[in-house]
Order: sequence, then C-alpha cells, then structure tokens
Amino acid sequence: MEQITPTIAPPRAAKAPVTGQTTESLGSVTKRLSSELMTLMMSSSPGISAFPKSDANLFEWVGTIEGPSGTIYAGLTYKISINFPANYPYAAPTIKFDSPCYHPNVDINSGAICLDILQDKWSAVYSVQTILLSLQSLLGEPNNASPLNPDAARIWDTPQEFKTQVMRYYRPIDA
Amino acid sequence: MNFQPHEKLSKHVVSKWSASFGRLNREQTGITGLLSFSEAWTIARDFLYPRDLTDASPPPPKKIRDVKAAFDVLAQCKMLPVLMEDFLEDMHKQQYLVTREIKIFMDKYDATSDPQYIAKMAIRVVEWYKGWSPPSELGGTLAAAYTLNFQTHIYSVLPPSFTRGFKALLNLTFNLVHMASVPEWMSSLVPANHPPPARADSPLWSAFDKLGLLDRYESLVSSVCYEYIEAYILETCTKRWDESMLVAIREWMTDNIVPWMIMPYARGARNAEEARSMLQGVGSRLDFHVCKTLTDLRTSEIFDIIVDYPDSSGALHDLKECLQRVDQRSQLVQTLRKANNKRLLHPGADTKDILTQYVSIIRCLRIVDPPGVLLYKVADPIRRYLRDRPDTIRCIVASLVGDGESGDSLVDDNEPIQPLQQQQEEDYSDPNWEPEPIDAGPEFRTNKPSDIISTLVSIYDSKELFVKELQVLLAQRLLAITDGNYEKERRNIEILKIRFGESALQVCEVMLRDMTDSKRTDTHIQAQKSSNLHATVISKHFWPPLQSGKFQMPGQLKELREKYAKEFHLFKPDKKLNWLPHLGTLKLDIELDDRTISAEVPPLEAACIELFSQKDEWSVKELIEQMAGSMESTAIIKALGTWIDLGILKEEGEDVYRLLNTAEEGDQGHRPSTRPAMTIDEEPPVTSLQQQEAAQMQVFWKFIEGMLTNLGTLSLDRIQSMLKFAPGYDRNIEQLGGFMEAARREGLVTVKDGMWKLQR
Repeated sequence: MEQITPTIAPPRAAKAPVTGQTTESLGSVTKRLSSELMTLMMSSSPGISAFPKSDANLFEWVGTIEGPSGTIYAGLTYKISINFPANYPYAAPTIKFDSPCYHPNVDINSGAICLDILQDKWSAVYSVQTILLSLQSLLGEPNNASPLNPDAARIWDTPQEFKTQVMRYYRPIDA
Repeated sequence: MNFQPHEKLSKHVVSKWSASFGRLNREQTGITGLLSFSEAWTIARDFLYPRDLTDASPPPPKKIRDVKAAFDVLAQCKMLPVLMEDFLEDMHKQQYLVTREIKIFMDKYDATSDPQYIAKMAIRVVEWYKGWSPPSELGGTLAAAYTLNFQTHIYSVLPPSFTRGFKALLNLTFNLVHMASVPEWMSSLVPANHPPPARADSPLWSAFDKLGLLDRYESLVSSVCYEYIEAYILETCTKRWDESMLVAIREWMTDNIVPWMIMPYARGARNAEEARSMLQGVGSRLDFHVCKTLTDLRTSEIFDIIVDYPDSSGALHDLKECLQRVDQRSQLVQTLRKANNKRLLHPGADTKDILTQYVSIIRCLRIVDPPGVLLYKVADPIRRYLRDRPDTIRCIVASLVGDGESGDSLVDDNEPIQPLQQQQEEDYSDPNWEPEPIDAGPEFRTNKPSDIISTLVSIYDSKELFVKELQVLLAQRLLAITDGNYEKERRNIEILKIRFGESALQVCEVMLRDMTDSKRTDTHIQAQKSSNLHATVISKHFWPPLQSGKFQMPGQLKELREKYAKEFHLFKPDKKLNWLPHLGTLKLDIELDDRTISAEVPPLEAACIELFSQKDEWSVKELIEQMAGSMESTAIIKALGTWIDLGILKEEGEDVYRLLNTAEEGDQGHRPSTRPAMTIDEEPPVTSLQQQEAAQMQVFWKFIEGMLTNLGTLSLDRIQSMLKFAPGYDRNIEQLGGFMEAARREGLVTVKDGMWKLQR
C-alpha cells in the first residue's frame, strides 16, 4: 500500500504568543487588550466588569466594581477608570476610583488607590480581570498598614461609624 | 274724441274679419269657398279622429280622394295647424281607451309576473298607435307631434312594475336567438294572415322601437345585456382554469349576443356593412365588459389558480389578455396580497408550502405580466416573511440538492441549471430594451427572466448563508452514509457548483474528499491490521461544528479505538486522531446466557451495554462516572431505555438497572417487536446553523452587557461601533436593532429616546 500524502493542511494556528517579547509594538498591546476584553466578557465573575470607553481607543477603559456581599460595601457600586500604558503589560495600568470611595487605601479626593500589585508587585501575568478581582476584595479587606485615608483606617474597627462615613461619600451610579 | 278708440277697434276687427274670410273663402264667389272649407274640415277631422279600436262597428268608408282634396282645401286656407291641434285634443280625450287596456295587461302581469303580458301589451299598444296614426302624406310635423304625444301618454301611464317586466321580457329575448321552439304566446303575437317573421322576436323589437321604449330604456337594455353576459361567464368559467375561456366566450358572443344585438342596436341597417358599423361601438363596449367580468372573476380566484398551477395556465393566459384591456392590475395585486396574508403567511403554514406557493406565484405572474411588476409587488411581503422564518434557507437548500423525501422539488428538473444571476444593470444599448411599465414603483428592479433558484436565493442578501447551510446539510448527509457510496452527493455538489460557483463550494469539496480519503485510509489500515472499526477522518476546519461532548468508551470498545488510533498514527505520523465519541453507529452482537441479540446502536448505547459486561447492576450515576462523561443523565436514561426495550436490561426499582442474562418470561415476546432493533438518534449530529448563530449571539450579548454596565446608556450606533471589539462581529445595525428589541422583550434592557440601558 503506497503512502498517501495528506492533501489538506490544517490552517495554521492564528494565535501568536503574547508574552515574552521585548519589542513593544502597539499592535501586540492592542491584541493583548482585545483578548483580555474577550476573556473578561466571557467570564462570569459577579460584580466586576470593564469596557473600553470608546471604540476609538482601546487603552482607556471604564470599570464597575460592586462591593462584595458580607462587607460594609455590599450593595454599593463604584466606577473606576483604567488607563493602560503603551508598554502594557510590562507596566501596570493606572487605576483610580471615579466615584468617591471612602476606604483606607483610596484617596477620597483623587480616587488614587494604594494596592501593591498596581505598583511594585505588578507582573505581566496579571490581567484586567485579576486587577478587578483584587480591587473587589480590597474593599472588604483593606490594608490598614499603609493608608491613603488615615481617618478611614482609624475608624475601620468601628463598623457603625465607618458605614456612616462610607454612605456620606457614596454617590450611586445613575446607570 | 271719445269714440276714437272704438273706431279704431272696429276698423281693426273689420280688417281682421275680412282677412280671415278672404283666407277661408279663397276669393271665391259668395260664400262657396267658405262652405267648401267647412265640408273639407269635417271630412278631415272625421278622418283623423282617434277611434276606439275595440268598437266593432266598421269605420265609415273613406274615399281617399275626398280626404286628399279636403286636406288640400285646408292647406290652402292655412288651417292645418288648427286641425292638428284639434286632432291632438281629440286624441287626448280618447287616451283613456289605451290607458284602460294597459291597465288590464299590467294587472295580469302583476298577478303572474309572466313577461308575455308585457309583450302582448306592447303589441296591442302599437296597434292603437298605428290605428290613430295620421297618414304620412300629412307631413312630418304632424307625425312627429303625434308620436311625441302618444309616447308621452304611454310613459305617463306605465306603472313602476313595468320596468321589471320589461327587463324580464328582454332577458327572454336572449333565448329567442337560438331557441328552436318559440313559446306559443310569442308566435301568437303575429297575426295569422301575416307570414311568420324571420326572427320570432322581431315583432317585439319593432313594437318596442315604435313606442320609443328602446331609447327611453336604453340603459336598461344594455344593463340586461351586461348582466346576461356576466351570468354566462360566471356560470361557465368559475373554477375552470385548465383552458383559455376567453376565446370560447368570444365565440359565444359572436353566436349569441351579436345576433341579439342586431335587434336593439342595428334594426335600421340595410346591409351587413351598415349593421357592422352600427354595432361596432356597442360591440367593443360589450367586449370590454367580457374582459372586465372575467378579470374580476379570475382576480377573486387568483390564489387558487396559483395553487392549481400548472393546471391553470389557461386562466392565466386569459387574465393576461384581459388585463391588457382592463386596467385592474392594482386590484389583482391587492387581492393576491390579501389572500397571501390570510392563507399563506401565517404560522400554521409549512415553510415548504410557502416556498412552493411562492414559486408558483413567480411562474404564474410571469405569464400574466412578463416584465414582473406585478410579481415584484406581490412577492415583496412573501420574501420579507420568508426571511424571518428560521428554516427557509434549509428548505431552499434541501430542494436545491433534491431532498428525496419530499418528492416534488421546487425546481423544475427540466429547467437548465444555470449560475446564480445577480441583479443586472439596465442595458440601454440593448436594441430590445423597453422602459419599465408605468405602474412600476421607484424601487422596482427589472427582474429579467432569471431562474427560480436565483430568485429564491436572492431572498437573502448574500449567498454565503446558503453555502453555510449547505455545508451543514451536506455534513448530515455524508455522516449518514454507511455504504461508502458518495456518488449522489458528488453529483449534487457538481450541480451546486454550477449555481454557486466553484470557489463557494470548495469547503464542500473538502468534506467530500475527507470521506473518500477516509475510505482509502481505512482500507490501508484494515490491510495492516484488520479491525472492526471503520473510522471516518474529517478535517475539522472545513466541517461545520459537530455534536461535541466527551465520554470514554469502556472495555473492549476502548481497546478497539486505541488499536485503530495506533495504526493510524503509524500510517500518518504527523496526525493524531481526535475522536468524536457521540458519532457513528455500532453493530453489536450481545451474547447472553440463553440468547444472542443483534443491534445497531449509537455509541452511547454501546458504551452502556459494554459496562454491563463488567457487572450486572448499575445506577445512572455510576455509569456516568465510569465513562468520565459530561453528558446529561437523561441521555444515559435514554440509552438504557433502548436496551430495556430490547429486553436486555431491566429497571429494578429506583435508578438501578440490571442485566437480564436470561430472558424474562412473557417479557421477551412482545417487547422487541414494539420498536425496531436499530434506534436512530433524532438529534442530528451536526450543529445546525441556527444553533451556531445562537451561540454567537450569546457572545455578542456578553459584550453588550459589558458596555452597558460600564458606560451607562448608549445609542444603537454606539453599541454597533463598540461591538467591533467582539471578534467576528458582522451584523449590520438593523440586525442589531432586531436583537436589542428581542432583548428588550425579554426584559434584559430598556430603551428611552433611542438610548439603551440595562434593566437592573
């Protein structure tokens, strides 16, 4: 029996590896962001979500975080803005709260966040989804050792008082 | 001075008197002139006097010379006008005689509704008319004045019921044209001493004419004729569509109506030429009426005519010819559209039936209106409706490849197979170019006689959908073939290539080649190491998604597979077999203690029964665990059901199945017969286009949900442009609008002023 050569070659895998490349072309960043968006959309993590602000710019996203149930922030929804640098994912995105958030690690005025993975602990393996999940858990478990809002850190242990402050600053989203 | 007026008056009287005297006396001596005038007056008056015809006494003999002389005298005296007035006065006094007789006849008619009394009355009244008529020598003025007076009187005394009777009588005359035996009363109208007239009804017509009835009741006469024609057409043509009736009707008109028409419309004709010119106007009016009646009839029947096509082509050709005379195209369109909406475009109708009817409509309206304007107007709602039906494409595709089950294909086998035709630009350089018909709308596109399939495919914007559906259908059919004979499919593909073009069907080519390659590969592997397993190896990328789901084949089935895979790997080292565990069929011989049962079953069934060779009792949950499957327990229960039906397994209490190593008494006898040994999986192995679509929409929905969550309210335009982030998004904004609308109905989103937002 003679050898039969396969006549149809399967189409080549279209997915190029994303990580491990030193050349930072905007194209590959866009590709990475697109695929993160797809993953985020298809995953059903309750209470976190994000989407590009406009179809023209994939580097600016808007995110939504719902307070985890069982914490003081349960039932509250916060908007955040996410800005990706041109060398993402080798540098962390800039993230801040758009809605005022009374929280030990969030600056009440600027919305800046103190979270280790967004600063020195950043790694390219993190993704939008992991950031959002971290932020969500940060709401319930603040790091009171390095507060941006010392007042909040101080009254964290008195939930009654803390909740009052949270609600004083909280602005519901009119979506 | 006082007498002056008197004197003047006397003078005046005297001069008048002498003038009158002179006129009457005619300058004869003495008063002889006056006397002769007096005598002439008496003779003339007596001659003209309208006598009672019922009076039996014979009229005084008249010496025509005397009468003539008398009239001459009166003419000289210029007294004829006075005589005429006198005569009319007399007539007026005598009219009660006629009135009396008319009343008698009309009373009889009212009592019996028999039109013969109307006929008799007409004849009798004519007798009066003739009896009283002044001789024609006396000049036209007198005759005209007489006729006018007489007729006026007649009209004034005819009761309202006369119209009805007259109509009935006219209707009767149609039968006289050919009637061999004229009713007795009709023949009795002619006096016995006269020769019988050429036509039985001619005395009647001349009577009508004499009495001026034809002019006075002209519209009645024509409406009687119209109604007669209508009745005939309705009677002969209703539901007779197989042959052209128009010719037959026109022949009937020539044989029946035209001879009849001669009487009311061309009595005065002296020769055939004259008669023809007199009948021309009314004839063409009647022909128009024939066309109109037939058009109305066919219009009301049009839906059924189309259903009956091609047995109704006669009716369609008639309709075409009639519509050229009668401007009722818009009525036809409206009626058909209404009928389609009522009878065709509703959920109860099968898509296949709708398509069949649509094809018939195309064929029928092409006969009626070759340029296709009518078709365009009628087809539009059907096409829109079909576009919304989920299985339209499948039906069209099935008929494209000549799905054997249905028998009657949408496509005429005799029609040559042609490539799909695209909408063509108008070719103005074509010497046979014709402008669009006047009732064509602005969006009308001349649909040059393209073939049916092109028209059907053009329901959709692109033919890609068809090719995709074709692929699915082909996959189903290829996988169903077990005897390795792919000739029929190959032939289909070749036919479709002509229609859709080579490149569109490349994928199908690959699929077909997969099948033949598999066969060759299998032959090779069998030659190396004989196996009971015959694999079909497909190129995943070219096939539509197949039913997936994983489970492990247990026991000897697993070994079989692994051995085969090994051989395959030896044969094609760069390839690895990736099994689709749900597909295929297995022929099993199940050897039990007391019997052997053969069955042809799907893999899941086989896997189940294989496990029973390890131990006799299993629960559904255990089975799923053993197969490491991700399937629903219902699928297992169904598979077990197959074996229970075959009398091999038995359900023992709750969720426990036991192998019947020995047949149960009484159980075995009837059970297998209730179901054929081979069970066919109802679910097609290929994921249908619709399911693929739904899965894709699910992805898009996630994106929409994501953007609405984060960006708040968005317009449809924004959503559309943002969806470019979703891979493979290829919908247009209308489709998106439809999708969002569906989501709104499900309560997922709300819309206000064109801005969409999530429903929370």
